[in-house]
Amino acid sequence: MTAATSPVDRTHLHRNGTALLGMMMFMASWAMLFSALFFAYFLVRQKALQWPPEDLPTLPVMLPGLATALLALSSAALQRGLNRIRGGLTGAAMNVGGATILGAAFLICQVVLWQQLVGAGLVPASGTYASIFYTFTVFHALHVLIGVGALMVLTVSAARGRFKAESHIPLRLWTLYWHMVGVIWGLMFVTLFLL
Amino acid sequence: MDLQPIHPPPTSFLRRYVFSTDHKVIARQFLWAGLFLLAFGGILAMLIRWQWAFPGQKVPVLGQIVLSRSDGKLTPASYNAVFTMHGLIMIFWAITPILIGSFGNLIIPLQIGARDMAFPTLNMLSFWVFIVSTIVLVMSFFVQLGSASAGWTTYPPLATQVGTPGHGQTMVVAALFLVGVATIMGAINYVTTVIRFRAPGMTYMRMPLAVWGLWLTSILNILFVPVLGAAGLLLILDRVFGTQFFISGAAAVRGGGDPILFQHLFWIFGHPEVYILILPAWGIVADLVSFFGRKPAYWYKGSVYAMCAVTILSAVVYGHHMFTTGMNPMLGKAFMILTLLISAPAELLFLNWLHTIWKGSLRLTTPMLFTLGVVFVFALGGLTGLYLATISTDLYLHDTMFVVGHFHLTMAAASFLASFAGIHFWFPKLFGRRMNETLGKVHFWLSISLITIVFCGQLAVGYAGAPRRMWDPHQYPFLANLAWLNQWTSYFAFALGAAQLIFVVNFVRNAIARPNAEPNPWQVGTLEWTLSSPPPVHNFDVIPTVVRGPHVLSHPEVQRTLGRDWISQTEDLPGGSV
Repeated sequence: MTAATSPVDRTHLHRNGTALLGMMMFMASWAMLFSALFFAYFLVRQKALQWPPEDLPTLPVMLPGLATALLALSSAALQRGLNRIRGGLTGAAMNVGGATILGAAFLICQVVLWQQLVGAGLVPASGTYASIFYTFTVFHALHVLIGVGALMVLTVSAARGRFKAESHIPLRLWTLYWHMVGVIWGLMFVTLFLL
Repeated sequence: MDLQPIHPPPTSFLRRYVFSTDHKVIARQFLWAGLFLLAFGGILAMLIRWQWAFPGQKVPVLGQIVLSRSDGKLTPASYNAVFTMHGLIMIFWAITPILIGSFGNLIIPLQIGARDMAFPTLNMLSFWVFIVSTIVLVMSFFVQLGSASAGWTTYPPLATQVGTPGHGQTMVVAALFLVGVATIMGAINYVTTVIRFRAPGMTYMRMPLAVWGLWLTSILNILFVPVLGAAGLLLILDRVFGTQFFISGAAAVRGGGDPILFQHLFWIFGHPEVYILILPAWGIVADLVSFFGRKPAYWYKGSVYAMCAVTILSAVVYGHHMFTTGMNPMLGKAFMILTLLISAPAELLFLNWLHTIWKGSLRLTTPMLFTLGVVFVFALGGLTGLYLATISTDLYLHDTMFVVGHFHLTMAAASFLASFAGIHFWFPKLFGRRMNETLGKVHFWLSISLITIVFCGQLAVGYAGAPRRMWDPHQYPFLANLAWLNQWTSYFAFALGAAQLIFVVNFVRNAIARPNAEPNPWQVGTLEWTLSSPPPVHNFDVIPTVVRGPHVLSHPEVQRTLGRDWISQTEDLPGGSV
């Protein structure tokens, strides 16, 4: 903070710092929720007679792999949008909008995946393997849905020029949220589809 | 520079008293809600005690109203719901809103010198989510097959659709999830407020110990309530969507899940939870023994470190709830050692309290009496805990009434006595008045003696081998000779319940009367006592500058210069070195 910073700016900076800290707390809390779900996964898998069970349809890798790539790109686009606003550059709305579309595309991939698997006979009541698969993917998809909703609003705000280099805290907090959704999906992709 | 601008106070009734963002109003809201639910949980406790004294007989008065369909008697099914809901309501809807919701909201901003919480709107939401969860909870009593009845621990398979088929169990687990959300919202606020809004000079080592207790509790809440959330979520999925996390045996598909998984998740949360409920009480006790002993808190930093050590250790001891689940003996031994290790910092804290009291000029006001009551019951509860932490004795005592007596002494008696201490102590800041001291003292002496008798009665029948949660314990020949003990314990419990009416009268009469308390009736130096009673909406006209710790009492230099035995945390002492 330089000596030239006005009192108004300092109040503003302090408020941003507080919001950021609150977001960190929220994310810590949220990480514990997902950790508990992964704990359940490891315990259930350890106890399973067979993983994956032979009489159930195997999970595809290509489609969820594509979804993973889409979500990673979406995270990158959002970060790029944030960086442009921080640098005082134009074109942020394009990036945020792109991130929104990529997030929605991820959701479409998930819906297609569920349809395929339910069609092939894998339903939530097919034992613990299916329980884990549906709980993880649906619970995560709900978070993506909330994120896509928020990104739509942020796209409109960015297009109207609401975010400035010195004031863009909603965008920054949602970017953190979105990265976290992405990282958790990465872990889920590895545990559900690869291991 | 003003980081916390003063906003004009709201004018509409709704914004002032209902959807208020003022932390002091929210503190009062949580207090009223918590006390109502405490009364509710207390009535359920009376029903349980009736059942243990006179199994299957008509419940007088209350039976005709709430149990009319079973001729005024507690059926085994309704008895199950009663003890389940007694536990859940007391823990999540009574201790939590009073000790954390109300005191956290009231004293954190006032004691650290802030104008409000870091996120006032989130604070308001926290209370209203709590109310929604309460509504879901109460509604569960009116659905077919009644409310939750799988025990407060909600263990599967009893808590699955097979053991408790009604909607009540599902609704209560959902309410539990919601109350967890409310708790986390509050906790995020408390932690952030303490980190960001301490007044200039209010270093961490100058914070009152009550703030330390609430702050550490909030950290545990943020990290471990979500684990309960996950457990509840999986349970609801099992009950509603047919997943198989906790189903095993005949009902399972392809090997099924594992009921023990729930116990793991529940106690990963549940053990920190007992410290979540006791840390604020410890903090309040540590401050009050100093304020009313008119001495500095003995080894303040030691108390802080001890509370931090307990906070950290609380996360790694949960396995001691599961010694009888067939866990690996090596693991059991590790959990046993870690659990016993917690008694070291707890003991240090305890000795610090005693050392503060030692040779103090004790002022035996109502808050101080309740504080000493906490010290007493917590000693009893803590010592009985050693038998449960040790595997060899726990295998015998597990799931007996001994456990019930133990956790009622530590978690229930200690937390509620600390709540009463806090209510009496901060009443001027809550409602601008002082509660009646005579009524308060009568309430205290009745409560402390009856609490000790009732819960020691539970310890005794448990040691004699009585399992917990029995509908009719005396139908078994080996427990039949305990009937007289259970009956006498119940008589004392009814007296304990009746004694609480004294508090109700004292509380309600003063809460609705016109404020008349002076700013600093107890003559202590923490920041909330520099304000009027009750404080103005924005708390501080000017954010104070703090120059010393919270417990400077009976300092010779202060006595020489100012002629009194206390000095405020903000007061300038000319030429002084304190």
